[in-house]
Amino acid sequence: MMQYLVLETHPAYAVLLDQQGRFLKAANLRYTVGDRVTDIVEFQSPREGLSPVWKKSLASLSTLAACLCLVFFGYYQPNFSPYGTLRLQINPDVTLTLSRNDRVVGLEGGNQDGWDLIAGYDYHGKDRDTAADELVDRAMEMGYLSDGDTISVTVSSDDGDWQQAEEAAISQHLESKYGQTIVISLGPQEDALEEDVTVTIPLSPTQGDSGYGASDYGQSSTGSTGGSGQPTTPPPASSGDSGYQTAGDSGYGPSGNSGYETSGNSGYDDSGASNYDSNGASSYAGDSQNSGYDSGGDSSQAGGNSSYEREED
Amino acid sequence: MPTTTVEHDVVALVYAAKEDSDAADQFIQQYLPFIRSETAKFVGAAPDHRHEDELSIAMLAFYEAILGYAKSRGAFLPYAARAIRNRLIDYTRKERRHQNLVSLHTPNGEEDERTLEDTLPTENDTLADYDLRQASQQEIAEFGRQLAQFGLTFSQVAENSPKQDRTLDACHRVLDFARRSPALLDRFLETRRLPMKELAQGSGVDKKTMERHRAYLVAILLAFTNGYEIIRGHLCQMAPGKGGRL
Repeated sequence: MMQYLVLETHPAYAVLLDQQGRFLKAANLRYTVGDRVTDIVEFQSPREGLSPVWKKSLASLSTLAACLCLVFFGYYQPNFSPYGTLRLQINPDVTLTLSRNDRVVGLEGGNQDGWDLIAGYDYHGKDRDTAADELVDRAMEMGYLSDGDTISVTVSSDDGDWQQAEEAAISQHLESKYGQTIVISLGPQEDALEEDVTVTIPLSPTQGDSGYGASDYGQSSTGSTGGSGQPTTPPPASSGDSGYQTAGDSGYGPSGNSGYETSGNSGYDDSGASNYDSNGASSYAGDSQNSGYDSGGDSSQAGGNSSYEREED
Repeated sequence: MPTTTVEHDVVALVYAAKEDSDAADQFIQQYLPFIRSETAKFVGAAPDHRHEDELSIAMLAFYEAILGYAKSRGAFLPYAARAIRNRLIDYTRKERRHQNLVSLHTPNGEEDERTLEDTLPTENDTLADYDLRQASQQEIAEFGRQLAQFGLTFSQVAENSPKQDRTLDACHRVLDFARRSPALLDRFLETRRLPMKELAQGSGVDKKTMERHRAYLVAILLAFTNGYEIIRGHLCQMAPGKGGRL
């Protein structure tokens, strides 16, 4: 064991000499000059533990960065980042962009009436229910929505669970608030045809025949609802636009609604079973994944009479 | 940082203490109450005889803080307080480890016939111990005086001492060479200067290393000149051939 010879003592330290010829400072544990000692507490050159200010700044900055991340991911993102959309179709078609926490972070119209509806409406800071209510009220005031009408509610998001939860929540909310006079329907109405209109869909795969225009069916919430009668042209499951939405395009109904919704139902049972879009992809490409008609397995609509002859699925 | 006059004064004292061990001693004495109270905070009681070690550690920590302080680290006293606390924590931790108490009668080491008990600094010295210590003190005092003639203190030599083994060995090679050249050593004593060129040439150690450890070389060379028997006797673990007689 190394022995140290005490050479000098100071109040706060002593100078020792080890047996290998090193001179060193150590704590003065009641030493006397000339003592030989073995257990020492050696002086440590300043470095240990007390870092210079720049390192402290770095530490502070890192902490700040971490806090900001926390704030961002913990608060900002769930509250302000778009997470999904809520589409309300009365006649005016509007889509609210929602954050994960049901805060409205965006609002746009899906058709001209939709834009008119939301003109001047400030959605900032409002949550889904509030905004929906206010818009519905507006629609009533502006005459778009009357008793007996239908509001179609469509929720989309990459997060299936969230989507379902939102659908349930919003429909329940609207139902309880307006359900006495308005029908709340889940799932997009796509230029619904007038009730009682029988449309015969030609079997030939020609595109423009039925006057449906671009048949890119395969998109999320608006999958070709009415016009799916062209089964032989499997639509690409794109998330494009079925092209049905614009008023008047479908050429079916005077109001451009293609007249399905007289009962507000567009003929598809409104318990949500007709939502082909439950996962957003109503691909009719023959794989019946989501054509949404399978909800009851029966595509002949409940109350409606959009009796097409559909070839398949 | 509030730059009050008092703080300015403290900082000035700290910087003075860095250079001069007497100034350091004075400064530390002046702040002993502070050191005591910081120790008391940690220990949870007034540092009395039961906590002498802790107080010694705290004082070393305060001293370390003096040498390690820079204005960029904020006000001195908080810095010193942190230093004390950290040191005490380390010390307590180490001590707690050694709480696996060992019998005082266990042998001191394989080669050593003494027991642990024998290694304790005792209050009741035997006469031999007392004499040895007295003699040591005298030698050491003389050594210190001679160092002073070269403008050095023990503290400075300690600060200048090589930490790395490699450098320590290099310095000892210089010593070896010097010891084999009595004329050179005489010159060294007379001129009170190290004959750097010759030493470098003779030992093969490069000048830069030697320059960096000038104070240490002076001390170690001195130790091997006059009659520093006890000190040399103590240096028995230097590489073979270095300890013991000239």
